[in-house]
Amino acid sequence: MVRVKSRYLLCEVNVSESSDLLLLDDRAVAGAVRSAVARMHGDYGAALCSIRFSVKYLNVHNGMVFLRFPKSCFQFLWSALPFITNIESRGQQIPCFLNCLHVGGTIRTCQKFLIRYNTQQLQRILPKCKNAGNTEKDHVCQEILNCLPTRGTKPTYEGGSEFEEDERE
Amino acid sequence: MAVFMDLNLMFSADRTRISKLLETAAHLGFSTVAINYTFEPTSLLPLQEIPVPKPINELIDQLPVVQGRSRPIRVLNRLTVVVSDPSHYRPNAPEYRRFDLLAVQPTSEKLFHAACMLYDIDIICISVTEKLPFFFKRAPINGAIDRGVVFEVSYSAAIRDSTMRRYTIANAASLTDSCKGKNVILSSAAEKALELRGPYDITNLGLLFGLSDGDAKEAVSSTCRAALLHAETRKTASGIVIRDSDKNATSTCAGDTPAAKRVKTT
Repeated sequence: MVRVKSRYLLCEVNVSESSDLLLLDDRAVAGAVRSAVARMHGDYGAALCSIRFSVKYLNVHNGMVFLRFPKSCFQFLWSALPFITNIESRGQQIPCFLNCLHVGGTIRTCQKFLIRYNTQQLQRILPKCKNAGNTEKDHVCQEILNCLPTRGTKPTYEGGSEFEEDERE
Repeated sequence: MAVFMDLNLMFSADRTRISKLLETAAHLGFSTVAINYTFEPTSLLPLQEIPVPKPINELIDQLPVVQGRSRPIRVLNRLTVVVSDPSHYRPNAPEYRRFDLLAVQPTSEKLFHAACMLYDIDIICISVTEKLPFFFKRAPINGAIDRGVVFEVSYSAAIRDSTMRRYTIANAASLTDSCKGKNVILSSAAEKALELRGPYDITNLGLLFGLSDGDAKEAVSSTCRAALLHAETRKTASGIVIRDSDKNATSTCAGDTPAAKRVKTT
């Protein structure tokens, strides 16, 4: 059987103020992508965007976005993503940029990559945890140890929000 | 995992800006960056001062660790001389020694030819903020490729403004036509941390500029490394080490220029 194939792009939204991340929602991101593609590639790009493009998942604590594109034109549409300079959400312009981390054929492969990536991030922030609050360090250590033997998704998402809290401090 | 480099981060006196830039670059996965000091001599003021690079520990306290690796980011210094007159570029000037990379931005056909064939530099910048007044010819470009000089296209002007976008793509496409995609590097000329883009995004931008898939990936990784190696050999090759029985080994400037080394990309 012919199967309809898509490409899932895992992107990270980088902002200068981490509190701005909480204002995002998936319709704002979708609107930003569509307008960037329309600006760069005109009517042709806008038409391609309307086929099967959508924002599948958005994590406001981490800034992780899953974007879905049709397989035939995903590189073309991907080339417009670096030109996004801000995302408009709830009347506010949030200056940010999208950094693509991984391209996958299915959501599951992207999720596997995301789990590995989050584990690496936890390990990166471990030395940055302040020594004053030893509980934070223990928390992060606990999350890292949780991630290693199991392959479940639950520890990771908790680890994701933990990561964000520690980043802000 | 390839080593990604961004060889053009604009210098600004603001310390927080530079530290944010370096942190963002490390977060995105760039192992090596170069802080660019632009020097634009005008004929009205001869003997303008060439800027002195600030030592890295003045700019940022601790170098951030690169995403995906265990080493801190490597920061180099680079000088870009915008030449509009042949007298602007002074070969073997002692101030050039303080910089790790040397770049030249020619503004006319003759200067471009001279820069490709004669000047002792590593990078030739292709201007992106204006329509190029001259066309690229195959002969000087092939000469530059043989010598190991790379051509640089910077993309942050394209991100800022729509007219710049057209100039960037036009100039980059005509460069790719003439040089067949070899010896091209893509870098941001980022002044703020939000103007940087990740290496895979830049590879994709390379496809827009006319590079092939392999060339675009090389433009961010191995060609940059080739430029760095070329710079190192350039720095070390233009001197003779004199061993005196009384004194320690000193290096002095040689009168003759060495044969330009061809750096092979692995």
